[in-house]
Amino acid sequence: MHIIINKDKYFLNQLHTKLENNQQLSSWELFELHYRMETMLIHDDFDALLVPNYLPHVNFMEHQVKAAQTVIHDMDGRAILADEVGLGKTIEAGLILKEYMLRKLVKKVLILVPSSLVPQWVEELHEKFHIPAVAFRKGYEWEQYDVVIASIDTAKQNKHQSHILDIEYDMVIVDEAHKIKNHKTKNHAMIRAIQKKYCLLLTATPVQNKLRELFNLVTVLKPGFLGTYESFKRKYRTENEIQSDKHLQKLIQQVMVRNARKDTLLHDVKRQVETVWLTFNEEEQKVYDSLSNIFQDSHTFSKITYLKELCSSREACYLSLEASDSKKYKDILENIAVLPHHVKAKKLVEIIQSLNGKKVIVFTEYRATQFYLQWYLAQENISSVPFRGGMKANRKTWMMELFQNNKQVLIATEAGGEGVNLQFCSHIINYDLPWNPMRLEQRIGRIHRYGQENDVHIYHFAIQHTIEEQIMHLLYKKIHMFEQVVGKLDDILTALNIDLDKEFSSIMETSDSVEEMEIKVNHLTEVINQAGREA
Amino acid sequence: MRKNFIHDFLETFFRENNCHVDSMEGKLVVGLTEEMDKALMNRPFYWNYMETMNQKGKPMKLTFLTKNENRDEEGEWVTFGSPRLHQVAKHLKGQSQYTRLFQVMHTHEQTMLHPWLVLNYCVRYEGKQIKEKLFSIGLHLIKGTIVHDMMENLQQIELHEVISNHCYTISPIIKPSSGINRIEKYIDDFIENDDHTWAVKAHQRLQRELDLIQHFYEHTSDKQEKKREEIAAQKRFTPKITHEIISGGLFYLDTRFPFQ
Repeated sequence: MHIIINKDKYFLNQLHTKLENNQQLSSWELFELHYRMETMLIHDDFDALLVPNYLPHVNFMEHQVKAAQTVIHDMDGRAILADEVGLGKTIEAGLILKEYMLRKLVKKVLILVPSSLVPQWVEELHEKFHIPAVAFRKGYEWEQYDVVIASIDTAKQNKHQSHILDIEYDMVIVDEAHKIKNHKTKNHAMIRAIQKKYCLLLTATPVQNKLRELFNLVTVLKPGFLGTYESFKRKYRTENEIQSDKHLQKLIQQVMVRNARKDTLLHDVKRQVETVWLTFNEEEQKVYDSLSNIFQDSHTFSKITYLKELCSSREACYLSLEASDSKKYKDILENIAVLPHHVKAKKLVEIIQSLNGKKVIVFTEYRATQFYLQWYLAQENISSVPFRGGMKANRKTWMMELFQNNKQVLIATEAGGEGVNLQFCSHIINYDLPWNPMRLEQRIGRIHRYGQENDVHIYHFAIQHTIEEQIMHLLYKKIHMFEQVVGKLDDILTALNIDLDKEFSSIMETSDSVEEMEIKVNHLTEVINQAGREA
Repeated sequence: MRKNFIHDFLETFFRENNCHVDSMEGKLVVGLTEEMDKALMNRPFYWNYMETMNQKGKPMKLTFLTKNENRDEEGEWVTFGSPRLHQVAKHLKGQSQYTRLFQVMHTHEQTMLHPWLVLNYCVRYEGKQIKEKLFSIGLHLIKGTIVHDMMENLQQIELHEVISNHCYTISPIIKPSSGINRIEKYIDDFIENDDHTWAVKAHQRLQRELDLIQHFYEHTSDKQEKKREEIAAQKRFTPKITHEIISGGLFYLDTRFPFQ
């Protein structure tokens, strides 16, 4: 076997010139100091990770360091990082990148992330890893900087893509890699076409059970590792076979790291879950009942929507009834308009005040409720900031900063997407409950994640004798949502190939009565529970 | 032990660069010179402005914290991963790659100094992973004697950029350009006798990867992608060894060196 040897042909000429011109000749002290530094910086071991020694200001978790080790040593730098939400995939990617950079194996890096996460990636790489990453901006050249962070949507534009494809990258990192799992998309094609030595794909969406998606992602990393698609499909005809095939599972473990929360130290952070049962006062209950009666015969979907809204705030229900523009709601609109402050809002203030200034995130499903709560809390001298999915990336970042530094309460209508870190806060109030328990999990995942040092307190608000009580019993209690380890439900749903959001909307669309809906939801939870018992 | 290294390192570096240094337990306060400020502080506009205004600029004062326990004090906490340390190391490298030095002799008699070529090598083994080894080699340019761990040997003596009184040097018989070949031969011999399981492993890995690629693209027409993947695999796994000379120079030493 032949080993290529590259010798240094440059140095002696340089030395000769310097000696001849008597310039830039070093003192012994500096000459010796330089050599001593080199002895410290040398990597005299193939295996041990250098990174932890270089970054003593960060407390890395065991599973993160281990993941980095596995990717570097066993997977040779091409891997899918598929930890559950909140375990620090970004950290793992940073560790791997830094290690390669320290070992001088990587210089040119492209990091593709959703645009809202760009600032956060830049910050994390700077602060935790001292990696001088630069967010791509208009007018920059792709060649200009060594470590560039950009959104996929920017990168795939023709004018940019052609430049990117010309560059020989040492490492390409794709966050939210499920966006490239479809081989027919431009995203997928572009990632495949980029010249890359090492490659990390980050995704919290489990892909290991979907034949085509799994195949596509692995093929980005290691073409041929799973054979051709035809041979792969022939071998594993159904999703079930993927699950049960030990050989395939083993293959996948060679390219994918997936840590579950229950296996990490983060499991030690406890969840204190409390369901706060409330009752409407007489007026509220009267309006609720009449609302329920009006819609007795009409479509179940609208009925449930209005009822849920009334359980959240007068405003939410009022606005959506008003928008429906039907004259028959005139009376009820008038009744809603004169309702007193919502029973939940009052309870909210009570809880926030009892926390003595500790940070709280309040989640609601409705924008009208968000507005109302912001106003109502201000009346009670509680400072808050809003957070919405539709906000621009920099506005989101600003809101987060305000929350972290100046305000006590964040009122959010969405969990803020993967990668939003709110672990400085340890209290969550679910002001109203979403249909999809997974969404609840995402909310909690924002604070119950790497970096959380306190126990996490979660309050679920629910009003008795209303649709909320039904949701509570139908779904949450049945699936034992609150006792479940995070991620387990995730795994079960993937195994069953169930998208809960889709299931619920289809149940509601197709049910002619609340009773029918209940039965269908019952079936669904039964299936989930069954799978849970078997798992 | 490592922390002390950083403290010593920064202290020596700044002192040698004529900065005013206050060294305390786990803490260094450094008053930069104008030159160092320009080299490290990245504020060309300030210096440019002062120069246009014909004013004397004021170099900055830096505080470095070199001990874990002090990290919360006012100042820059410097660790092995700190950008500051690497910035300084880089600057130092630019200052100290080449040298010509004379052994300091305290003598009243005519004393002859012999020429040595000293080269410090970093040799990198690169397969699936990377391992580096430093070689510090001295070659007697008259007798052809080779001394390894040369830097350690040189630490025993006093060296200066200017030749001591009453001393004179004699010209090399071996030219540095052929001297370097002898030094490389020495390193090559070492490498040849070293354990190269790493290269065998990397090579096997490369073959396996290339086979997969070959098989995968057998029936497709995308030759370009195939080529791309092959190149990527070669980059990742082709075993290679790289020599880098990190520093070196001519040393004129007492004829009795290396005193054993």
